[in-house]
This record gives sequence, structure tokens and C-alpha cells, in this order.
Amino acid sequence: MQVKWRNNLKNGWRYAALAPILLLNGCAGNPYWIFNPKGLMADTDLFYLILDVVIMGSIVGLTALLVIWFMWRYQKGKNRGKYDPTWSHSNTIEVFVWGIPIIAVGFLSWFAVKGTFEINPYNPTVITNHMKPNGDPVEVDVIATDWQWLFVYPQYHMAVANELVLPTHTPVFFRLTSTAVTTTFFIPQLVGMIDVMPGMRTKNALESNNMGEYQGIASDYAGAGTSWMTFKTKMLSSADFGQWVQKVQQSPTSMTYTSFNHYAEPYINVHHKVAYFSSVQNGLFDHVIDEVMNGKTWSIPPMMTENMVAYMQKQDAEHRD
Amino acid sequence: MLVDLAGGWNPMLGRLAWSQIPYDNPILAPLFVAVVIGTIIILGLITYYGKWTYLWKEWLTTVDHKKLGVMYIILGLVMLFRGFIDGLMIRTQQAWAVGTHSSGVFGATHGYLTPFHFGQVYSAHGLIMILLAATPLLVGFMNIIVPIQIGARDMAYPYLNALGLWITAAAGALIMISLFVGDFAHNGWFGYAPIFELQYSPGVGVDYWIWTMELVALGTTLGGINILATIIKMRAPGMSWGRLPIFVWASLSANVIALTSFPALQVALGLVAADRYLGAHFFTAGLGGNLMLYTNLFWIWGHPEVYFVILPAFGMMSEIFPTFSEKPLFGYITMVLASLAIAGVSWLVWLHHFFTMGAGPYVNSAFSVATMLVGIPTGVKVFNWAFTMYRGRLTFNAAMLWAIGALFLLLIGGLTGMMLAVPAINYMVHNSVFVVAHFHSMLLVIVYAIFASVIYWFPKVFGFKLDEFWAKTMFWLFSAGTTLVFVPMYMLGFMGMTRRLDYVFNTAWHPYLLVMEFGIVVYMISVLAFFALLYVSIRDHAKNRVGADAWGTSRSLEWLTHSPVPFYNFAVLPHISARDEVAWRRDNGIDHVQPDHYEDIHMPNNTGVAIILGGLTFVLGFALVWRIWWLCILSLLAIMALVIYRSFKGDPGYIITAAELEEMEKDAMCREAQIGKQHYRVGGGVLGDAIAYERSDLPPLASQPGSSVGLGHRS
Amino acid sequence: MSSPASNVDPKTAELWDKGHYQYDVIATRTLGYFMYLLSDGMLFATLFAAYGVLSYQHSYFGGPTPADFVKPWYTFVQTMALFLSVLAYGFGMNALKNKNKSGVISGLLAAFVLGVLFLMLDIHDMTHLASLGIGVATSGGMSAFIVLTQVHATHIFFGLIWILVMMAQVMTKGFTTDVVGRLLTLRMFWHLQAIIWVFVYVFVYLWGYMS
Ligand code: HEM
Ligand SMILES: [Cu+2]
Ligand SMILES: [Cu+2]
Repeated sequence: MQVKWRNNLKNGWRYAALAPILLLNGCAGNPYWIFNPKGLMADTDLFYLILDVVIMGSIVGLTALLVIWFMWRYQKGKNRGKYDPTWSHSNTIEVFVWGIPIIAVGFLSWFAVKGTFEINPYNPTVITNHMKPNGDPVEVDVIATDWQWLFVYPQYHMAVANELVLPTHTPVFFRLTSTAVTTTFFIPQLVGMIDVMPGMRTKNALESNNMGEYQGIASDYAGAGTSWMTFKTKMLSSADFGQWVQKVQQSPTSMTYTSFNHYAEPYINVHHKVAYFSSVQNGLFDHVIDEVMNGKTWSIPPMMTENMVAYMQKQDAEHRD
Repeated sequence: MLVDLAGGWNPMLGRLAWSQIPYDNPILAPLFVAVVIGTIIILGLITYYGKWTYLWKEWLTTVDHKKLGVMYIILGLVMLFRGFIDGLMIRTQQAWAVGTHSSGVFGATHGYLTPFHFGQVYSAHGLIMILLAATPLLVGFMNIIVPIQIGARDMAYPYLNALGLWITAAAGALIMISLFVGDFAHNGWFGYAPIFELQYSPGVGVDYWIWTMELVALGTTLGGINILATIIKMRAPGMSWGRLPIFVWASLSANVIALTSFPALQVALGLVAADRYLGAHFFTAGLGGNLMLYTNLFWIWGHPEVYFVILPAFGMMSEIFPTFSEKPLFGYITMVLASLAIAGVSWLVWLHHFFTMGAGPYVNSAFSVATMLVGIPTGVKVFNWAFTMYRGRLTFNAAMLWAIGALFLLLIGGLTGMMLAVPAINYMVHNSVFVVAHFHSMLLVIVYAIFASVIYWFPKVFGFKLDEFWAKTMFWLFSAGTTLVFVPMYMLGFMGMTRRLDYVFNTAWHPYLLVMEFGIVVYMISVLAFFALLYVSIRDHAKNRVGADAWGTSRSLEWLTHSPVPFYNFAVLPHISARDEVAWRRDNGIDHVQPDHYEDIHMPNNTGVAIILGGLTFVLGFALVWRIWWLCILSLLAIMALVIYRSFKGDPGYIITAAELEEMEKDAMCREAQIGKQHYRVGGGVLGDAIAYERSDLPPLASQPGSSVGLGHRS
Repeated sequence: MSSPASNVDPKTAELWDKGHYQYDVIATRTLGYFMYLLSDGMLFATLFAAYGVLSYQHSYFGGPTPADFVKPWYTFVQTMALFLSVLAYGFGMNALKNKNKSGVISGLLAAFVLGVLFLMLDIHDMTHLASLGIGVATSGGMSAFIVLTQVHATHIFFGLIWILVMMAQVMTKGFTTDVVGRLLTLRMFWHLQAIIWVFVYVFVYLWGYMS
């Protein structure tokens, strides 16, 4: 019942309210990732966005019209409206002046709190309340380095760098940390942002029923390589996902605590390199957090990007392939 | 050396070395040459016209709140221009470096700025715009207007006022010198932990960032104390709290925020400095540090700061709407309460800047609701301005147009702010250009209000109006720029474009980035229009001379005294009888009644101590950045010695006798009577016939003050 | 008539001040100084908050905690030194009421000596810590401990210089408005530092000792 009401609101208002913007893009596909969610979390976010814009937008819009009307009506010399040089107070208007914002804010607050719990990254009720009783969630440990993403699949004892592949119709739970500096994990069409911080663990979750490929971004400035610290997220059917897992597990390379130390050195991923690791030493995620808490840093060379072209040549020469 | 540094250090020069001067940088080197040539030309002109003594006596050593205010505003405008150039550079990089096929020059793989340089540009842009453009501009206006509006002869502490200015100027100088000596921080204007730690930012950039902010914080705190004490203690007789002009209320609320919140910034950055200079572990990821602590401390200041800058802007709008609606402000008491409410609530919302850091839903909800509460008083203000226009008689001159522009921007900024306040929405647009568009809408409210005020109060300070045509032309160009830059930016936000990208990976965003680049060009033209405005207005100033009540419909006390305001503000302090005193006198036909007799007044002396202290703080900042320890100690000792010297010397002030006063007042009234007729020359200001008596025009001290009365001065 | 009604009759209204209006120079100065102290208090509040966040067990990172080296009696001596210094200053200010120059000077002198004693004890404490190999770089918790206590000590240091300056001014200038104003503000400063020390003593030293 509630869901239906929501869908109506969403579909109705989405296109009505945003028609002018959507028109601008015509048929070039929809570049508005935020208006075009493909996962439960992003979907919920859009619902609140539309709700907020409708409520606040109508107040703001009416106020704008009111101001424009006053500007037209009371322009000096036009004699359209009555000039009352002493009028500066009215209890009735004061009641509205305070009342309208109070009611609007009260109403929005209620929804804001509700929404916060629905998409709470640690326990998003939009996902957990509808979790299929026997559909096993997928777990992914995300480790951000300077400037790459490592996705560890503890259930499959494997890891993938700079590419995230997930099955549809399955809840996915993330644990996230970082080796060097703080950044933010963000897949606009699937799930909102969560910070990843060195020496700490945050969580997030997503679920999507739409197969496809979605852009993932490091959305907080983390130093020179941030702009290239992107990754593709592929949502596959369960069968395809199973095949993909097998493919990764056949990769010749593996990830140990020692090889991770090398992997985590600063690296700007300009060529969008993806790497598969068929096996991962157990507990890598917790190990990284421990190491960082013990003071391990992966510092960057001073002024490494003074001359980016030269640095890239150096990086290509020094680093793996 | 205290901590291990990458790169060299020696006891004489600290970290300073030739290699730190970017003479081989294709952008900075020519700029440096241009700056040097420009400086030589300006200095040459001053020498040629023999203005050094005038400059030193009337400006650099002044303690006159109006002149200090003017210098604050000039500083703000210069920094606004520098920040604007940074903005131009950011937009150009993003319009250029799109997609893998985009070209790169000057060592960048894409565009013309390497990531490290790009980071410096936007960090400097943000810091400059908020702390060295908006803040000094607003402080400048508060400095000029507040004392006159409450009927005082000066600020409570004129010498402290000068000190505040010169410390702020030192901060400006420090960030400017970072262009040519060393580099600037790349960690954004608010800084992220732990990227500003030595391991990830080994250069001096972050140190420049720390000490610039510390100096601004110091200067602003001193200024805030001064304005608060002035408002509380120096109101003219009859100026009760209920009659206080609304801009004064706004300044009061704003400075309460400044006074209580800047210490948090000082501590936050001081602790970063402890990490970087002493090897402490406040914000490191390991060894017991807590990097989230930094983010909290910073925004505990950061959010109140944004209200510190918007409240005076609200106050300006609340002065301008009634004047050009020819009726009193609607709901004065409501407006005052709203300002105070905003100041109060601004303390309770800081966490909305990092909803995504992973606090639990209870915490996030609480801060979300608190944030939205701010929307209530803000909404009330907008409604009250609307109802000020209702049943009014509106004149749409340039000042009014800028104020109305500010109102509409506030509507947009408020709408988007209320979106960001909901965590469920915030998760999607945080760290995206949507946030950037939100706060530029809000900061543009301030810029619009400032330009409105420049036009509105210019005649009060200089005695003639600015040119209407060019002021309006600038308004329309600027507004076109605003639309062209920020509408696409909001759209890009909804497309998921995140902020601070020095390389744009998605080519679908390119058209919008190009439109924004075009918008920046339009902004550039509006800057030219501003120069034209100044040129034409000064050229035609004789035509545009005005009397005390420059607009004929003005309301508050500053319009009672002459334009330009004499250095003693009021020959005899006014006795206040109504809330809009000038409107009340005008309506009762007593606005031309002049005092019938004068008495001696006591004024503070000029002092060179303030500007020297400012210079020394700059040296101290520079020495700290480069870790030149002997220079740190030396400049610190010099500062202490100078402060103690000044405290021994004191300032007896001087007396303007009743006779001198009467003479000057007669001249001023005579000049007012001549307006529109012919040039009437008095005094020796830059603009000759337009400027009132300056301090040095007084005959050599006729009378010595009787007793020592310290910093204060009596009527 | 575009002004809000004023209950003053314009015909008889007093328009200009008759020259009686004066404001109180000393009160204005103390108000301003009070506001400065408010911001100084905020500064310490922020430092205390930082200390609160960084005084969990894991903030010390297995290294030394205040419990390992704080000697309550030692800090108690410091407390007494500072309190007596404030008391001495108070006696000095009492003498000010009778314009008793030598009384003021001896009050200030006693306050100065006791303040120096406080500072010496603090410096001794810090060098002792350093000899144990404990410093700001030891751990987050120790950074917070040392920075908070030493920021307070720095305030005391500048206060001492100020006391010296005031002694010189009382001697050379006597009780001018300026000097009296400064003596009053210095008293406010000295009191605030003592109050803050109470918090440091209780929350940093004693609490650190016990946990
Ligand atoms: C109705 C009142 C307002 C609300 C509800 C509001 C809400 C918010 C929120 C929630 C954020 C955080 C966005 C994010 O990073 O995810 C934000 C950012 C910001 N707001 Fe506002 N805001 C309001 C008014 C203002 C005003 C008046 C100003 C100042 C002129 C302002 C300036 C800023 C700035 C500078 C930032 C971002 C700073 C940065 O990340 O670099 N806001 N606002
Ligand atoms: Cu900007
Ligand atoms: Cu905020």
C-alpha cells in the first residue's frame, strides 16, 4: 500500500517535476544518475529527494512568485497598489510567516528521520526488512589505497582490484577501510556515499535487481590520483556471477600480507587496470586495519605530481607491467 | 628541526631554498614578473605624486573606523579578484581535461594543471573566498556602518581595530606569497585528515594553509570583540535596544558567533600544527590519533562561520529593502529574533557536513532535524522582506536590484540546503558539485548583498553616488554569469559528478562544463564593468555629489551626519527618539535642525604600532611556514616588545575644540548647500573637492588633553 | 509619515546630546577583555574536548598513560602555588582601593613569585617526562595530555610577563585610568587561568591518575 503510494509519487513527480531537465537530454540516454537509480538504496534516496523538492519547492516557488508580484504591483510611479508608508506589522501575517516554515520543517523532519533509518549504511531497513529468508548475502571487504580499490570477497577467498562485480537480487554487505588517507565510496546509481578511513572500519550495503554496468567513484579528495580512482560496478545474474567467480579463481596471482604491502604503494590508475587475485590471505582486511593503527603509512613521494607526464613514465617503468 | 623532514633544512634559512621558487613554472613566472612590474608602477606613482606622507598619515597609521573599514573592503576586493582568478583556473581545467583523449600541457597529462597544482588552486580559492574576501568585506562594512548607526564617534578600541585589519592583511600577504615561494595546500579549504599530515603532504603548502587561517582567526576575533563592545557600550543617548538599526543587530549576532567559534578553528589548526611540527598524533590514523576529531573540530567552527558571513549580509538586505520600498522593515522584532535564533542554532548542526562519516542513524537524525530548524528563521527573513515590499513604493535602482538578486539566490540556496540536510538525500550528493552549487548560491547571496551595499553606502563614505548605468550593467552581466555557471553545476550534481576532479572521466559532462566556462567569461566581463563603474563614477563625481540623506528615503542614523562622514562622525552626538531616527526626523520636518552649540571632543591619535605589528605577524607566519626558528623567536620578541612599548606609551588622544568644530561644520554645511552648483574645495583628500576634512587638515594641536583617559574618548 | 510611531513628541524632542553623555572607559575595557576571556575559555573547552576524545585506553596505544607518571601531591603543590598567587594578587588589588602603591607592588610581586614557582614545577615535570622518553610523539593520548597542559602553562608564562610590566607601570605611572584598567583586566586573566587550572588538575591529572 505504502509502496504503491510511493511509486506513484515517484513516477508521477519524477517526470513532472524534472521534465524540463529531462527534455534537455532528449534521447541521449539518461545522464542523470541520481534520477535514474538502479538499486534499492539509491531508489530510496530518490524518493526522499523528490519529496523534499516537492514540499520545499512549492514554498520557495510561491514565495518567489509573491516577491515578483509585489515587485510588479508596488513599483513606484505605476500606482498599481496602495502605498501605506507606516504598515510594518501584522499579527496574522506573523503567524503565517513563522507557521509555514515550522510546519514544513516539522513535516520534513519526520521524513528525514524515517529515511535515515531506511538507508542507514550499517543496517539499511530497506534491505534487511525484505531480505529473502534463504538468499545468502554477498560480503565484500573494500580496501582503498592511494589510489586504487581492492575488493576482497571473503566468501570466495578472492579479490579484485578496481572492478566490482555483484549478483542481482542479492543483498550485498560491505566493510570498508583505507590504507593511507580518507576518501569516499560512491556508486551513484546503486548506493550513496560512505567514507573510508585509514585504521577504521565503516559499512555499507546495496541490493539491485537491474543488470548492467554502473560507475563507481572515489568521491572525496585523496591526493593526486583521486580523479582516476574510479571503478566499474557490474551487476550480473546469479549464474553469470558464479561463472565470473570461477574465472577470477583461476587467475594466477594471489594476494598475501606481503604482496599487499607492495600493492598498496601509491599508484595512479590512469589506464583503468583491473587485476584478479585468485586467493587472498585470510583476514587481510583486519590485518590492514591493525597495521595502520600500529602506525604503518604508505607515504607519497614529495611533489610526485609536479610533472605528471614524467611521473607517469616513471610509474609505468617501475610498476607492474 | 623537531621532526624528520623530506628535503633539506638548515638553521639559517629553514626549509627555504632556491628550488622552492617556481621560476620555471610557465604560469607563475610570468605572473610574478607582472606582479613585480605592477608593484613598481604603483610605488612609482605614489612617489611621483608625493603621496607617501599622505598615505602614511591618513591611511596606514589611521585608527579611524571608516578608513579602516575602507581598507578592509579594498583588501576584500583584491582577494575577491584573486579568488576569482582561481575560480577561472578551476573551470578552465575542468572544461579542458575531459575524457582520455583530451590534451595536456605544462607537465599535466590532461589540461594544463597537474593534480597537485589543481589541488592548490581550489584550496586557495575556497580559503580566500570565505576567509579573505567575504569576511574582510563584511567586517569592513560593519566597521564603517555600525559606529555611525549607533551614534558613536569611533569603535570602542580604535587601536585594536587597526590591529585587526593589519593582522588580516598579513594573512592575505601570506597566502599571496605562497604563490611565488613554495606552494599551497592541496587538501581543500577545510582540510582532510590525515592527508594534511607530513607523510602525505611533505611540502610547506599545508603550513601556509595553517598559518594563514590562524592569522585570519586572530584578526577576526579581535575585530569581533571590538564590534560587540562598541554595540553594547557606545550607543548614543536614547539608542535603546529596541531602536537599534537592524544591521547592528545582524552584526551583533554575527560577532557573537565569531567570538565563540573561532577558538575552535584555532585549536583545530593548532593541533594540526602540533602533528606536523612536533610529531604529535592528534589526527594520525595510527598510534592513538583520531582523524574524525579533526573533522568535528573544524566544522564546529566551519558551520557557525558560514552564518557569521551570511548574517551581516542579511542585515544589509534588511537596510536596503526598506529604503527603496519607502516604508519600515516589516516585523522588526521578528527579524531580530530570527537573527539571534540563527546564531544560536548554528552551533548545533556541524555534523551535517559529514553525515557520510558513518555516525549512527540516531546521531544523523538529530543533526538533520537541527539543521532544518535553521531553515525556519531563514524562511521568516525572506517572508519579512517580501512583506516589506508589500504596500511599498519600490524603486529599482542598482542597489535594490542587487538586493533582490540576493533574495532569489537565498531561495535557491535555502531549497538546496534543505535537501542536503536530509541524510537520505545527502548520501547521494555530498562531495558532489551539487554541494558546491549550494554553497556558492549562499555565498553569492553575500556577494550580491556586498555589491548592493557598496552602491548603497558609497555616497555616505565618499560623498558621491556610483554611476547607475554601469552598476546596473554589472548587475546583469554578473547575474548572467551566475546563471550560466551554477545552473549547469546543479545539473551536473544530479548527474553524479563529484567535486575536485582535476581530470573528468565522463565525457557526457563536457557540454555542461563548457557552458560553465562560458559563464566564467561572462563573469570576467562583469569584473571589467566593475572597473568601468569605478572609473566613470570617479570621473563624474562632481555631478553625483549628495547631501547627508543621499537617497532621500533612507531611514537609519548614519544618514543624519554629512556625506562624506567627517572623521569625528557627529559634531554633537544625536539624541535618539525613534527606531528609524532619520525617517522620523524627516517625516516630522526636523531633519535639518542642527545643534546650536558645540563642545570640545576627544579623539584618539593615529599610531604606526598597529601596522608594524601586522608586518611582524607576517614575518612570524613566514618564519613558521619555513621553520626558520631564529626568525620565529626574533619576531615574537619584537611583537612582545612593541606591545609593551605601546602599553607604556599609551595614547592621551587629542582634543578638537568647539571652535574648530564649528568651523568645520560650517564648511560642511556650506558644501552641502552647494551641491549641484559648483565645485567647492575643502580639505586635501584624493578626490579633493569631494572629501571632507581629514585628520591632518586640523591646525597643529591647539590644545593638549587634560588628563590621560586611555583608549576611550569622551564627548 | 513613513516611520513607526515614536512616543516622543517631535516638537519638544531633544535632538542633540547636551554634552552630558559619557561612557565608562574602564567598564568598556573590562567588557571587551571579558569577551576575550570568553574566547580563551572556548579555546580551552575545545582542547578539553580533544583531550576527552583522546584519553581512551587505545589512545595511549599501549604506551604510558598519565596513571604511570602523575604524582597527585606534586600537582597539588602546583595548585597551591597558583591559588596563593591569585590570592596575593587579590591582596594587591585591595591595596589599590586605598591607592597604596607599595601594597599593590608587593601583592604583584608575591603573585609573580608564586607564579614562577608554578611554572618551574611544570617545566621540571616536563623535563622529567622527557627523561622517561615520553613526549608529544609518544601517542595520541600523550599528545593531548601534553598540549593541553602546556597551552595552559604558556598562558601562565605570558601572564607573568604581564605582571612584571604592570609592576613597572605602577611604579612609573602611578594609578592612571590606563594602569588601573590594566590591573583589573590582568586580575580577570589571572583568575581565569586559575579556574582553568582547576579543570586541568581534576580532569587531566587526577582523573588520569585514577584511570
Ligand atoms: C537554510 C539554511 C542552510 C541549510 C539547511 C544548509 C545545509 C547545508 C548542508 C547539509 C551542507 C553539507 C553538504 C555536504 O557537504 O554534504 C552544507 C554545506 C555548506 N553550506 Fe549550507 N546550509 C544552509 C545555509 C548556508 C549558508 C547561509 C551558507 C553560507 C553562506 C552556507 C554555506 C555552506 C558551505 C560553504 C557548505 C560546504 C562547505 C564545503 O563542503 O566546502 N550554507 N549546507
Ligand atoms: Cu568558488
Ligand atoms: Cu553547514
